[in-house]
Amino acid sequence: MRLIKMIRHDIQFQWRHRFYFAYMVVCSVYLLLLHGIPSGYKEKTAMLLTFSDPSALGLIFAGGILLLEKDQGIHDCLFVTPLRLTEYLVAKACSLSLLSLIAAWVIHGFSLGMPSSPFLFSLGVLLSSSFFTLLSIGVVVRTQSINGFILLIQLYALPFTIPLLSLLDWGPRMLYSLFPTYGSLLLLSSIYRPIALHEIIYAIGILIVGNIAIFIWARHSFQQRILLG
Amino acid sequence: MVIQVEQLRYAYPGTTKPTLHGMSFEIGRGEIFGFLGPSGAGKSTTQKILIGALKGYEGSVTVLGKEIKSIRSDYYEQIGVAFEFPNFYSKLTVLENLRLFRSLYQGETEEPSILLKQVGLEDAAYLKVSELSKGMKMRLNFCRSLLHRPSILFLDEPTSGLDPVNAAIMKELILERKAAGTTIIITTHNMQAAEELCDRVAFIVDGQIKLIDSPRELKLRQGEKKVRVEYKIGSELLMEEFSLHQLADNNRFLHIMRHYEVQTLHSLEATLDAIFIEVTGRSLL
Repeated sequence: MRLIKMIRHDIQFQWRHRFYFAYMVVCSVYLLLLHGIPSGYKEKTAMLLTFSDPSALGLIFAGGILLLEKDQGIHDCLFVTPLRLTEYLVAKACSLSLLSLIAAWVIHGFSLGMPSSPFLFSLGVLLSSSFFTLLSIGVVVRTQSINGFILLIQLYALPFTIPLLSLLDWGPRMLYSLFPTYGSLLLLSSIYRPIALHEIIYAIGILIVGNIAIFIWARHSFQQRILLG
Repeated sequence: MVIQVEQLRYAYPGTTKPTLHGMSFEIGRGEIFGFLGPSGAGKSTTQKILIGALKGYEGSVTVLGKEIKSIRSDYYEQIGVAFEFPNFYSKLTVLENLRLFRSLYQGETEEPSILLKQVGLEDAAYLKVSELSKGMKMRLNFCRSLLHRPSILFLDEPTSGLDPVNAAIMKELILERKAAGTTIIITTHNMQAAEELCDRVAFIVDGQIKLIDSPRELKLRQGEKKVRVEYKIGSELLMEEFSLHQLADNNRFLHIMRHYEVQTLHSLEATLDAIFIEVTGRSLL
């Protein structure tokens, strides 16, 4: 199956460009940081780290990968094969989500042990990472350089960090619930508290809707700016 | 016909001025067809439409019996494309690159190592692409376009930037594919390559085809039916021209041939460069 082959290739590409090595270093820093955090704050800090980094890993890596591919001029060659744009984008989201999941488990496993709900924790990481990967792809096709990308991605990603304010009990929950990332926080909070069924349904639902919406936007952006650009 | 194009018009999104103004042409099975023209003439746009990269055109473009506007991704099982710039995943090896691209096709494919051998790259199989020379990358680019045994091959400037040895290798490879029955469409501004390779050429200027014919016919039709002889008498170099008509009975020509040291002897058919300038009023550069 072509999608599986593209996922395997993306992992090979990320490995060859030492993305995994770079992330191992980052994970080690996080583990050291968590080691120094008092036990009362450790779980919330681990959840924040999982949200802000392994989940959002796609945000930076997807942009970097696309810039490397653009620099190597590979897109024209890829899209005169039977490869569909959908397969290309889904492969990127899957390969980076997998890396996020491994990183999240390493950080969590070494600092806090097994999450209380491994399935919800994993699902939260996967859906959040794919969301940010696709967001990153939609942004990076609008830029030509790494500097331009870093500036623009902050602009696009900032609104999705608004639900973090809910951790401080600021503002109305209704407002936060409009953001897919609120769903991420709910699922990731399963590492330190039980989540009600309606919260699980809402969180998975909003993340799936968010992923579909951002996929459509990323696909359209890629089509217009890379393939027809 | 493998390719049929009628009244093709195209304007890039956001522009009011069309790039192509009503092109019509046909390309037969097993033919090598060349699009010739200066930069910006519309050659690449025409190729992009034929390979399905641009679909917002007017008119009709049929390839292998299918209108390009309605093709799906399986169209790429039947065509091979080698762009002017031989781009690959530079950190992957030659073989890894070919294996990746091969894995994207569902139909029968060639064994990459066999293709590499055919183009003389078998020793480079385990080198990273970033370690290859331009000539090697161009051959690898050609290899990639053949992986799925396409019935139509689109080659954009196939000899661009190659030294004479590598350019000759590339021309030989192209002719081998023609002999195997592949239809080949070449986009170039290299008149010499077009002359040597193409069965027919189309001159494109300002988004229009000014002329289509075989290079040989063009050269004969537009040239002078004469032969030019350069010969030496002692240390003096002399030159004379003779009509090809009944040349064997031309006593002066026969006298020169028999009694003097002939240095060069050329028929005066036109060059494609000269014909292009005459027909279009434009140079290729």
